[in-house]
Amino acid sequence: MLASRLIPRHTVRPVVARSTLPTVLAPNSTSRWSRGYASSSEEKDLVIIGGGVAGYVAAIKAGQEGLSVACIEKRGTLGGTCLNVGCIPSKSLLNNSHLYHTILHDTKNRGIEVGDVKLNLANLMKAKDSSVTGLTKGVEFLLKKNGAEYIKGAGSFVNENEVKVALNDGGETTVKGKNFLIATGSEATPFPGLEIDEKRVITSTGAIALEKVPETMVVIGGGIIGLEMASVWSRLGAKVTVVEFLGQIGGPGMDTEIAKATQKLLKKQGLEFKLNTKVLSGDTSGDKVKLNVDATKGGKEETLEAEVVLTAIGRRPYTAGLGLENIGLELDERGRVIIDSEYRTKIPHIRCVGDATFGPMLAHKAEEEAVAVVEYIKKGYGHVNYGCIPSVMYTYPEVAWVGQSEQDLKNQKIPYNVGTFPFSANSRAKTNLDTDGMVKMLADPETDRLLGIHIVGPNAGEMIAEGTLAMEYGASSEDIARTCHAHPTLAEAFKEAAMATHSKAIHF
Amino acid sequence: MFTTRALRQAAAHAERTPMIKFLGPRSIPSSVDHTPKPHPESPSGKLPADFAKSGNSHTSFSTYRDHAQQHGPLQKSIRSGQGIGSVPAAALGDITPPKGVFFDTSELPARFQRAPIDWAEIEAVESGGAPAWN
Repeated sequence: MLASRLIPRHTVRPVVARSTLPTVLAPNSTSRWSRGYASSSEEKDLVIIGGGVAGYVAAIKAGQEGLSVACIEKRGTLGGTCLNVGCIPSKSLLNNSHLYHTILHDTKNRGIEVGDVKLNLANLMKAKDSSVTGLTKGVEFLLKKNGAEYIKGAGSFVNENEVKVALNDGGETTVKGKNFLIATGSEATPFPGLEIDEKRVITSTGAIALEKVPETMVVIGGGIIGLEMASVWSRLGAKVTVVEFLGQIGGPGMDTEIAKATQKLLKKQGLEFKLNTKVLSGDTSGDKVKLNVDATKGGKEETLEAEVVLTAIGRRPYTAGLGLENIGLELDERGRVIIDSEYRTKIPHIRCVGDATFGPMLAHKAEEEAVAVVEYIKKGYGHVNYGCIPSVMYTYPEVAWVGQSEQDLKNQKIPYNVGTFPFSANSRAKTNLDTDGMVKMLADPETDRLLGIHIVGPNAGEMIAEGTLAMEYGASSEDIARTCHAHPTLAEAFKEAAMATHSKAIHF
Repeated sequence: MFTTRALRQAAAHAERTPMIKFLGPRSIPSSVDHTPKPHPESPSGKLPADFAKSGNSHTSFSTYRDHAQQHGPLQKSIRSGQGIGSVPAAALGDITPPKGVFFDTSELPARFQRAPIDWAEIEAVESGGAPAWN
């Protein structure tokens, strides 16, 4: 491959002579006159398919490391699901719908009398769109700044060394590379038997772009995405029912005690829950969408009706149209690209990170992997600590955790100490009139090393950063307890939970 | 000085050693084993059989490195007969052009030419830089 770069492009090429001059020479290939530029090759050091958080971060990092890099993205904007139709737009809706809900229901207690409050859904969506546009353009600028080429089109492997790109503006191009990175992400898993039209039967993509607030909404799946979207539309006025197959909300990883506390708080806000309930079938023929559901533990069958049904039963890797069959790459039974510990597929110069492969489908996990994979390519060594990846659910109050849950430890028969601290005993939460939730810590009884941290409460998503840092450094609960935290802050609840874990909390 | 003494005394009579480990600047281990190992998040905890097979399918180290890492120590060295880079500069003769022959600047390698202006720069100049920080 490299050899092709060293062959002079123009072995025989006349030098340009002024018209008035008598001689034009055609020099031979070994003379100084031939133009052989080792750096003129079109072959990239790294070609990335997918411009989502994994792809664009890898492109920026590769540019910073001095690699020539191209990033192929077919959406037309960078940032992938996260920036365009996922984390970012949903956070805009969550924040603004929370403000609306607060103004409607919670200002009188605080001594603020508000007049007529109206929702302008079109403007709410506009605010969301402007956040998204600002951020995606910012990412495009960062790619330029770091010398990464951005190709708008759909890439598919022709062979192990070439990717064909069907350009969005028409036409086709081919990109050669020494290394390839598959970072194509994931898509919402459709619910069997319900056709998604993104109007009445929607995924998270449709849920951030509804044109009016539905009267009734059923959410299939009580995981993070389902509960965030259920919160948004419930706050804006919809009557929302969440149907979950398992016995607890929040999806995998959420501590049961925290999940139960969260469910109570969300129920107080008006969400209805049907746990241990299976959706058997759906019917979209009438005015309203009908769902037949059945309690998994000996309950009776019933029919739920809703104006809009949101399917949030999870996401699946997206590798369609990548031409993996042309290079003999196989996927596992859940459609994930099989990789080794250095993110290599069985073709070692083709690697894969993010949602398209193993591990939790989280944007920040994909970013970590993107940096690590570039370091593996450039330096031969990279690092991601899969035991220390935080998860956050941006409902109100927020739920956040890192490390192992109490159930994980029980299942593995690992002994632990537990300490909790409620926000109702925290001075700042009291002054904010925002006292729902608690901090829970799990630590090794012998060494006091932290094993897991679980928070439900105001600002939990920011607070978990302290816990993640502590766990990454291998801290004990006493290390946190002996660290001074400013007063009055919500973070004091974090410190007090640490005190409760190795000894006793002061304020509870 | 007093601070240092106080810290030393505290360390000598430490009743508690923080568990937190300050790792210092990270460095790349001197030898890294690159043989394929299962990804830590792989549900099966093992690699498919053809994974190892494809790793062994290369007939020589040279063919392996064509497929593996292309940077750093594995980069192919320049061999003779492979372009101008394989020929010593002295063997290429005099660099002065023959009489009556001139270079056009466009014929020179890119590094001697005017640096191309990219769109980001054009945008920044035209707008005073404002949209760059959107």
